[in-house]
This record gives sequence, C-alpha cells and structure tokens, in this order.
Amino acid sequence: MRPFKLWQQAAIAAKVFIQRDYTNGTVCQFQTKFPSELETRIDKQQFEETVRMLNNLYAEAEKLGSHSYIEGCLACLTAYTVFLCMETHYEKVLKKIAKYVQEQNDKVYAPRGLLLTDPIERGLRVIEVTIFEERSLTR
Amino acid sequence: MPGDSNKSEGQGPASSPLPHSMNLSKRLLQPSRYVPVSAATFFLVGSTTLFFCFTCPWLSERFSVAVPIYNGIIFLFVLANFCMATFMDPGIFPRAAEDEDKDDDFRAPLYKTVEIRGIQVRMKWCSTCRFYRPPRCSHCSVCDNCVEDFDHHCPWVNNCIGRRNYRYFFLFLLSLTAHIMAVFGFGLLFILYHHQYIDRLHAIVTLAVMCVSGLFFIPVAGLTGFHIVLVGRGRTTNEQVTGKFRGGVNPFTNGCWKNVAHVLCSSQAPRYLARKRYVQSVCVQPPFLRPQLSEAQQTAKILDNGLRGDLHRSKSSLDMQESQSCDAEPPPPKWELRYPGITRGNYNMLNKTPPTPTMYKYRPTFSPGKNHTPLTHAYANQVMHQPGFRSQPSLDRGDTSSDRAGRVAGGERKESGEGGGIPGYSLHSYTSFSDPVVLSGVASQSSGSMQTSACAAQISETTTTSSSFKSLANQTPPPTHPAHNGSLSYDSLMAGDDGFDKAVSAGSKIPEISSGRPCSPAAGGYMSSSHPSKQRDAEMHSEFPKHHHLLLHRSASSTCSSPPERETLLVESQRSNRPSPFCQTSVPPASSAQHPPHHQHHHHSHHHHHNHHHSHNHRHHHSSSTSHPSRFIAPYLPHRPYPHRACSTDTPLGLTSSSTHHPSHSPHHPPLGKSLSYSSAAAAEMQYQLIRKASSAAGENAAGVAGGIQAPKSTRWNCSDGPARLFFSSTASTSSVSHCAILSNGPLRAGVQKLTGGEDTTYEIYV
Repeated sequence: MRPFKLWQQAAIAAKVFIQRDYTNGTVCQFQTKFPSELETRIDKQQFEETVRMLNNLYAEAEKLGSHSYIEGCLACLTAYTVFLCMETHYEKVLKKIAKYVQEQNDKVYAPRGLLLTDPIERGLRVIEVTIFEERSLTR
Repeated sequence: MPGDSNKSEGQGPASSPLPHSMNLSKRLLQPSRYVPVSAATFFLVGSTTLFFCFTCPWLSERFSVAVPIYNGIIFLFVLANFCMATFMDPGIFPRAAEDEDKDDDFRAPLYKTVEIRGIQVRMKWCSTCRFYRPPRCSHCSVCDNCVEDFDHHCPWVNNCIGRRNYRYFFLFLLSLTAHIMAVFGFGLLFILYHHQYIDRLHAIVTLAVMCVSGLFFIPVAGLTGFHIVLVGRGRTTNEQVTGKFRGGVNPFTNGCWKNVAHVLCSSQAPRYLARKRYVQSVCVQPPFLRPQLSEAQQTAKILDNGLRGDLHRSKSSLDMQESQSCDAEPPPPKWELRYPGITRGNYNMLNKTPPTPTMYKYRPTFSPGKNHTPLTHAYANQVMHQPGFRSQPSLDRGDTSSDRAGRVAGGERKESGEGGGIPGYSLHSYTSFSDPVVLSGVASQSSGSMQTSACAAQISETTTTSSSFKSLANQTPPPTHPAHNGSLSYDSLMAGDDGFDKAVSAGSKIPEISSGRPCSPAAGGYMSSSHPSKQRDAEMHSEFPKHHHLLLHRSASSTCSSPPERETLLVESQRSNRPSPFCQTSVPPASSAQHPPHHQHHHHSHHHHHNHHHSHNHRHHHSSSTSHPSRFIAPYLPHRPYPHRACSTDTPLGLTSSSTHHPSHSPHHPPLGKSLSYSSAAAAEMQYQLIRKASSAAGENAAGVAGGIQAPKSTRWNCSDGPARLFFSSTASTSSVSHCAILSNGPLRAGVQKLTGGEDTTYEIYV
C-alpha cells in the first residue's frame, strides 16, 4: 500500500509512529520526542530537526495570512470554480513537505536504514518511521 | 461542482478497500437518506426559479434591474455553497493501517488523555478506524467515517460537516438566510403593489413562494444564529450539543475574532482520501550508518533511554540479546520466549529483566512514550536487580565500576554526570554506606553531576515523562487492574530476585532511578497512574529548576504531590548549595488535595513493597551504616494517610518502601530506609504528623542538611532510635519528637536550624 519502491535488500524490522502533539490545539504539530527505538539508528538532533522542520512547514500551511484570505475571497467571488484551476495554499505547502520528506529519506534516513512516511498519507495523524533490519550476507 | 466530490460514500477509492465498498453499496441502496436533500434542493431551486420567473420581471421594470441581479448573485452564492457542503469531503480520516495498531484491541485502553493548553482532553479509540480519534474528531455513524473537526451530519446536504466543508456550510446558511429574506421581502413588495390583482397567476405564485420562504425562514435563521454563536465561541455543534465545555474552558478557542478568521479565511484543508500518491524511489540497503557511541552517549536519554542506550552499545541489532553484565549473570530468556504475545515493536525496548505485567495494560502504541513504558519497567527491574545480588558481589563490582555506572548514571547523565554517577552507584552497591566521608563526597559529586545532567536531561525528560504517562494515565484498567498498582511488586516477584529488587523495580516505575533523573513527574505520575492529575503534576514538575529535577525522583514514591517535591528539592539544594526559598515557593502547595485519591494507590503499591524491602534492609544494613533519613522523608510523605504502616516496626511501609523505590538514586537511601524500619511506632507516627504539618520541603531540608552535613555523625541516624531521627539527632526520641512537633508547627520558613542538645546535634526543620 505504501507505494515506494525499495530496492529491497532490507526487511522491515519495526515501525515507529510519531504521534501528533496536541498541546497547542488542533494545529498540525508532531511530537519532537525522540523515540527509543531510533536511538541506535539515528542521532537525536537529526531526528528532532526533521520533525521540527515538518512542524514549521505545517504551521506555514495553516497560517492565517493574507495569502489564505485572498485565496478565500477569490474562491467566493468565482463560486469556487477557481479550485478547478488553482492549487490551494495548503496543497502547495504539502508538496513542499513531500519534497522535504523525500529529500530527508534520501539523504539521512535511508542510509541509516530508516524511512519516513509522509504524514499526509496517514491523515496527518502520525509520522511513520519504518526501521529496516540490518541483514547482511555475512551474518 | 469543483472540489472533492463526496456525496454519499464518505471516502474515496484510495482508502482501505473492502469494508468501504461494502458499505458503499449498502448506502447507495438507502433511498431514505436522499429524501431530505432532495426536498431541500427542490424547494430551494424551485422556489427561486418561480421567484425569478414571476416576481422579478415586474420588479426589475418597476424599480431597478439591480433587484434580480442582486437576487441572482445571492442565489448563485447559495447554490455554490450548497454544492460544496454537499459534495466536499468533510475531512475523513483514512482507516489506519494494520501495522499502526500493533496491540490487540482488548489490551488497549479505550481512552487516551491529551493535555491541550492545560486542559485534559480525552481521545477515544475508534474500533472502526483503528486509531485514537484526534481531538474534535468524531465517528459519523451515518457515513461510517471518522471526520476531522466533526460538526454534525447534516441530512439536508446528506453529508458530514467537518473541518473541510464547515466554511461552506456556514456560508450556505448565511447566504440562504439572506436569500430567503430577499425573496420574502421582494415578494411582499410585489404583493403590496398588486393587492387588487391578487387573483392573478403572478400574485398567486408570489404568495406561494412567500409562504415557502416564510416557513423555511424560521428554522434556517435559527440555525444560522446558532452557528454564528458557535463560530464566535470556537465550538463545534457536536461539542455544544454534548455539552463538552459546559461551564468549562474550551481549549480550542483562540478568541472570537481569530475563531471567525479561522473559519472563513483559513486555507482549504487538504483531503486525506483519494490523494495522488507520488511514488518515492528510495534505496534502503544495508549496511546502515549508525550513530557513533559518543553521540549516543550525548543524546539526552529520557527515563529509560539513557540506560538502554548503553546497553545497546553491545548490540548490533535492535534485539536485546545479552545483558551487559553477561559475565556476571546468565542472560535472561529472550523477550519473545517470555512474552510471546509482545510484538517486535516493543521487543527492542526490553532488557534483561522481564517487563512488568503492568506494561501490557498500557497501550504502547500511539505515544512516543509508550515504548518507553515497558522499557522503564524492564530497566527498572534490571537496575534494581543488580544491587540486590548480594550473593554476587562480583556483579556489583564489575557493573558498578564500568557498566553499571555507565549504564545507570552515565547513560542518564550523558553529558556530565558520569563521574558523579559512578561513585554514587558504587557506593550504593557496596556496603560503604557507613563511610560518611565517601557519602558526603558522593553527595557533593552527585549533586554536581546531577545538576548538570539534570539540565541536559530535563527537556527531553519532561516531555518524555509526561508523554509516557499519558499512555499510562488514561488507560481504562481492565478488571484485573487493581492489582496493577501493586502489581509492580508482582513484577519483582516474577523476576524471582530478592525482595529488595522486586520492591524496587515494582516501586520504581521510573526507570532512571539510579541517576536521579527528573523522573519524579513520572514517579508521581506512576503513583497515581490512573489520575490525569498526574500529568498535570508531571508538567508541574517539569517546570522546576533543573537542579531540582534530580531531587524529584526521590519523591517518586509520593503520589504526584508537590510536598514531596519540596522535600526533595530542599534535600538536594541543601546538599549542593544553599537552597533558595524559591524552590519551595515555586511549588504549588495544592497537592494535598491530590493525596487522598492517590494515597490509596500509593498505599497499595507500597503495601507490597515493604516485605521486600524489609528483607533487603536486612541484607544491606550490616552495621549502623550511615543513613540519611532526610532522603527518606520525601518518599515517606506520600504515606501520610497511613501512618501506621510507616510506624509499624516490622513493616516500615512508607519509609522502607519509599526507600526501595530509589535504592539506586543515591547511595544513601537504603541504609536510611533500613534504619527507619526500626523506629518505634509512636515516634514514626509523630514524625509522620510532623511531616504533614510542616511543609515537606522543610522536612526534607532538615533531612538533607542532616544527611549532608552530618555525614560524620551519620552513623547515629541508623540506630534504632526511631523515626524522630529523621528530624533530629538521635537523642532521646520522645523528647526530640515532641520538640520536633512544636517546631514543625512554627512559621513557614524554609530552613534547617541546628540546635544542640543532648549528645547529638539536633536539627530543627521548619518551613
């Protein structure tokens, strides 16, 4: 179901789910707490940096600024037909997030046997981190 | 209509397949669901069409062409919002994947509490969708979906109103009200000008349209007004109708203006279903990079993490295969063999010692802290396990010097505390308690290290502890749960170790007992695990000054009460440097109210401990080893409601059990607990009352002073003089006790005063 292609030389050992942080309400934020399962796989700072960056991006997506206000007015005036042609601000940021997740996977997580799943695929409820087994031929 | 089309199905094709498709067919075959929306559409479109055909031509001629234009625009607006509200995905959550829910349903608690802006909000487990519903999410039985920011299911649009389409629904109501008012008004105008031609077709039609609009105006305007109030208050219909925030505070409101802005001006929320999936091509191929050891050491480990981090070093995979002290003891059976039901997700957290059975009661998933919980147990067992092996002195030595200290102290106090932790721990392991010089040295060392490490560990600690306790706190205990609070002791029984270890492991649910990490929130939280107030306490504790954090663990046995905190704060502050009064004042004194509900729990847990601790004390207490009664004041406090337990000579519940909770916290603890066990009942009772009356901080203060400063005389503390020693020197207990009683009722000034008298120096503890 997760449509990423793996050159499968590693099997999935475990999955860690980073839950949402609801301390500020329903704003999309994820907990930056470092899960114990990842201790041996990645640096805490690196991981927290990733989550913080994601949180910032989601905050930017949900920000009530002139951008979203103009978009709303335009949509009203055009009887929402503008949604057929234009991408909403949130969707634009989601694309940015997807690119960021991909980049993080390529640069940071895949070399460490981890894989981040874009939270949008889980309904923005969790960040799924897949931990791969370190199986080598010598073992 | 543009946007997402979601009329009756409720989810798109991209969500999980089978159940939805079956429901889809069932729902399509239900004609009754379409009656309201059909009627609404019919009346709306029909009436407006008639209005435009029969009334508007005359109006445009008679008055202005702006009339039909205005009506046309409003009607267009109504239609657009109506269609968006009807066809747009309200914010349906896709079903959770199977691997997201690792535990069985029956083992998962039904509710999980989350703190939102200081208010406890419950998240319910959705058995259909297989996740804990986020705040404001609700499962619509009509659509059979969990909807984000669920407002209500509107039959007139045959759709749920949720986060994504609430704006359109609200605007639909507003525009419909305006439209109805316009139609009714202009129709009335027409009739007024045509009253003598009332029998003509145009007039009859206009009258009919007026009747329909007049009839619908009352409920529509009422609903519009209702939603205007909801938007202003930042509530959903679901919350208003169920009375969630009746008389309470709504944690989701940002103020009227911001609430309105959020509804009307926020960017369109994204759809979760039927999204375009971008295939990620990722190459995941071993060998994998690993963080360096130094980095692992430096990462601030939460509760259990630090300890496990060191353990992990010896491991090449996620599996915990061998204990670090494999030379000293046989490795425990593999995790799966002991607990075959546990999934791998939790596997790597477990350590040599078997996890406590209570771990299963808690839902390990859905909380970053969840996985730490079992580890906490495991490590607690392990840590406590070691010192208890008196029969294996080599274990202690070997462990203490390198692994143990590194694991316990170093692991937790990554940045700084290793030096302090090691000697502290080694002292604990050995019987060198009687060496006051060493103890005092350790005290200063550990305090210094504790401070630095506490600083480092604080931030992650607090969040971790609070989050881990979220998973603990709101679990609906299964029928066997009442044993759980005491079952921690059962864990130790399971471990088959000596009583002390069991008691310690049972009592110390907080893993980093040894290094005095800021686990007191956890400790406190654990004690009242079923109380959400625990979380508040955890948060409260997390705000304390860093160097006090380490102190907090000592009050782990206390039920999330601030007085124990104050005690511990004072103890440590006395020890390291003069305590600032602020640490007392900063502690809200309101925890006493929490004690009554907690003490039962606490009592229950300690009840099992004292037996174990008693045996342990026999082992530890060789001679009148130095003990630091002050340290036990804090743990002793929670047992207030049961002074008798603490007083009983054979079962020094409060004192000994509390000490068992943190045997490794400091080398001083065990002897103290042991000494207290010999106290007389009366003295213990008096002492208990003193603790209750005076602030616990004061008591701790004195104890700490006594412990730290009086190191050379600490031997006296161990004698069987009685609990009065906690507060005073070991002179005649009765006199000192009475003296103590008087003093404790004195003015609330923090401090310890040294009063000379008798053969010993008496310390007056006052708050």
